[in-house]
Amino acid sequence: MDFKLSEEQQMLQDTVARLVRDNYGFEQREHFYRSEAGFSRAFWQQLGELGLTAVPFAEAHGGFGGSGVDNMLLMTELGRGLCLEPYLQSQIHAGGLLQQLGNAEQHERLLPVVVSGELQLALALEEPHSHYHLQHVQTRAERVDGGWELSGRKAVVIGGHSAGLLLVSARIRGDVRDEQGISLFLVDAQAHGLSRQVYPNIDGPKACDLFLDRVFVRSDDLLGEPGQALPALRYQQGRAIAAQCAEAIGSMEEACKLTLDYLKTRKQFGTPIGKFQALQHRMVDMRTELEVATSMAILAACVADQADSEERSRRLAAAKFIVTRAARFIAEQAIQLHGGIGMTWEYNLAHHAKRLVMLSHQLGDDDHHLRAYAELLQSA
Amino acid sequence: MKVLVAVKRVVDYNVKVRVKADGSGVDLANVKMAMNPFCEIAVEEAVRLKEKGVATEVVVVSIGSNAAQEQLRTALALGADRAVLVESNDELNSLAVAKLLKAVVDQEQPQLVILGKQAIDSDNNQTGQMLAALSGFAQGTFASKVEVAGDQLNVTREIDGGLQTVALKLPAIVTTDLRLNEPRYASLPNIMKAKKKPLDVLTPEGLGVSAASTVRVLKVEAPAARSAGIKVGSVAELVEKLQNEAKVI
Repeated sequence: MDFKLSEEQQMLQDTVARLVRDNYGFEQREHFYRSEAGFSRAFWQQLGELGLTAVPFAEAHGGFGGSGVDNMLLMTELGRGLCLEPYLQSQIHAGGLLQQLGNAEQHERLLPVVVSGELQLALALEEPHSHYHLQHVQTRAERVDGGWELSGRKAVVIGGHSAGLLLVSARIRGDVRDEQGISLFLVDAQAHGLSRQVYPNIDGPKACDLFLDRVFVRSDDLLGEPGQALPALRYQQGRAIAAQCAEAIGSMEEACKLTLDYLKTRKQFGTPIGKFQALQHRMVDMRTELEVATSMAILAACVADQADSEERSRRLAAAKFIVTRAARFIAEQAIQLHGGIGMTWEYNLAHHAKRLVMLSHQLGDDDHHLRAYAELLQSA
Repeated sequence: MKVLVAVKRVVDYNVKVRVKADGSGVDLANVKMAMNPFCEIAVEEAVRLKEKGVATEVVVVSIGSNAAQEQLRTALALGADRAVLVESNDELNSLAVAKLLKAVVDQEQPQLVILGKQAIDSDNNQTGQMLAALSGFAQGTFASKVEVAGDQLNVTREIDGGLQTVALKLPAIVTTDLRLNEPRYASLPNIMKAKKKPLDVLTPEGLGVSAASTVRVLKVEAPAARSAGIKVGSVAELVEKLQNEAKVI
C-alpha cells in the first residue's frame, strides 16, 4: 500500500501544522479556554480565510471535496494543538448531515456560509438517557400549521452555545427506541422556547444541554424525508468517528513526545530517569499502542467516505475501540511516567490526558463499539 | 519587473537534528524537510511586491534533488507564478550554487533577485554575496525593509548597532533578514492552484556549469552539552570569579 501523501496533502498538512503551532501555544489556549466563547473566534475565522473550513465539503457545494485522508491530516494537527474550535462537530459532522439530507434550497441557503466558516453549526443528537444510541430519541416533533413544534431535552451539545444554527433530532412518530420516525430539524439558535445550560467539558471545549419547549420550526427547516433521518445520522457519525480518531492521534503523538522529553530531562539518583529499563518498557508500550492506533485511524479515514455498508461500520467501530483504548493507555502511562507534574494544570500533558480520556465518552464508548463490532461480525 | 527568488530545501526548523554516528553529517533519514525560513521570507517579499503592482512575475528557483519540487510547489502556493528546479543530487557548496543561480539569472534576466540571507542547515551566508559578485549586480544584504523607487531600490539593512539604508541600482540582489516580513500561510485555494503552475526542470550540465565542490566537510559534531551553572552569593564574588576563574575581565 502506498501511504505517501500527495503534494497538495503535504501542503495542507504543513499549513495547518504551522497555523496551529503559531496560534495555539499553551498560554494562548488557556486564554481561549477562559474566553466567553471557550475557543478562539479569530482562529476560526482564519481557518475560514485559508479555505480550511471548506475541506470536508463537496466541490459542487463550494468546498474542496476533501477525502477522509484530507480530514485526517487536518484533524491530526488540530488534535496536536488541543484546539478548542468545534471543527469536527460543525464542519465534518453537522456539515456532512446538511450535505447528505438537505434539499437544493437548503444547500443554496446554508452551505455557502457554512463552508466559509461564517455560520457555525452544532449537533444536538444525544439525550440524557440515550447512552450513545442514535435511535433513542425522546424529543418529540408535532406537526402544526406551517411547520413543527419541538419539545424535549438534548444533552452535551458541543459548541451549542456559540452555533448560529442547531441540527436537532426529534421523533415525529413511534416509541422511544424505534428506528423509524426520527427526523432532523434546523433550529435557529435564537428560536423562541429554546434555552440552554452551558458548561465546560473536562477536556476543555464548552458544551450545553438544550431545553426545547414547543420550539417552532418551519417546514422548510426539516432535513430530508420526515422520519427517515436515522441512516444518515449513522453514516455521518461514522465520518465523525474517523475524524475523531485522527484528532486522537495528534494528541497521542504530542503526549508521547512530551513524555519522552521528560524522561530524558528529569534526573533521579544522579541520572535521567529514561535510563531506567522499567520506564523504557513503558515508553515503548506507549509507542506500540500509538502505532496500532495510527494504523486504525488511517483505515478509518480510508473507509469514512465509502458507501454505507456493514463492513464500513465494522471497521469504524473497530477503529474507535482501538484508538480509544490506546488513548486511555497513553494518557494514563504518561501521567505515571511524569509523576505529579503530569496532573498539573500549568503543564500541557495534563490537558492532553484529559482530552484522551474524554474521547471514549463521545460518539460511543468502548462497550458500545465492541458490541457493535460483535454484532456486525455475526452478520458478516 | 521580473523577480527571481531562490529557495532551499532544508530540515524543518522544528526538528531536533542528530549527527550521524560516523560524524559525516546530519542524519536526514525520515526527517521532515521544509523550505528554509529565510527563503520563505524572500518568497513573501516577492509576492508582496507583485501584489503592490511593482513586480510583474515572480519566478522561484531551487537547486537540489528532485524532492525539492515540494518546496517549489509550496512557493507557488504562496503566490509565485512559475518555478525552475536545477536538479542535482550532489552536495553543492555555496559557490557552485551561486554559479548555477548566475546561469539561471542569465536565462531569466530578472530585475531583482531575492534570497534568504542564509540557510539554516549550513549557515554559510555567502550565496547571495557570491551571486552578486558573479553577476555584477548591486547587493543589499540582511534586508529588513525593501522599497522600489523608480529604477532604484532602497534597502534597509540590519547591521551591528543599528540600521543602514542603501540605494541600489537595478538589477539588484537582496538577501532577507528575519524581520523583513512575516510569511503568510498557503491557503487551500492557492494550494490547489499551485498544482497547475509551470515547473521546469534543468540540469547543471544543461546550463553549462560545473558544480564540482571546492570544499570538503571533514567532520560534523553536535555542540557540547551545557554544563550546570553555579550560584554566587554576591556581586563581589561574581567579579572575583570572572577575574580569576573565567579570566574574562
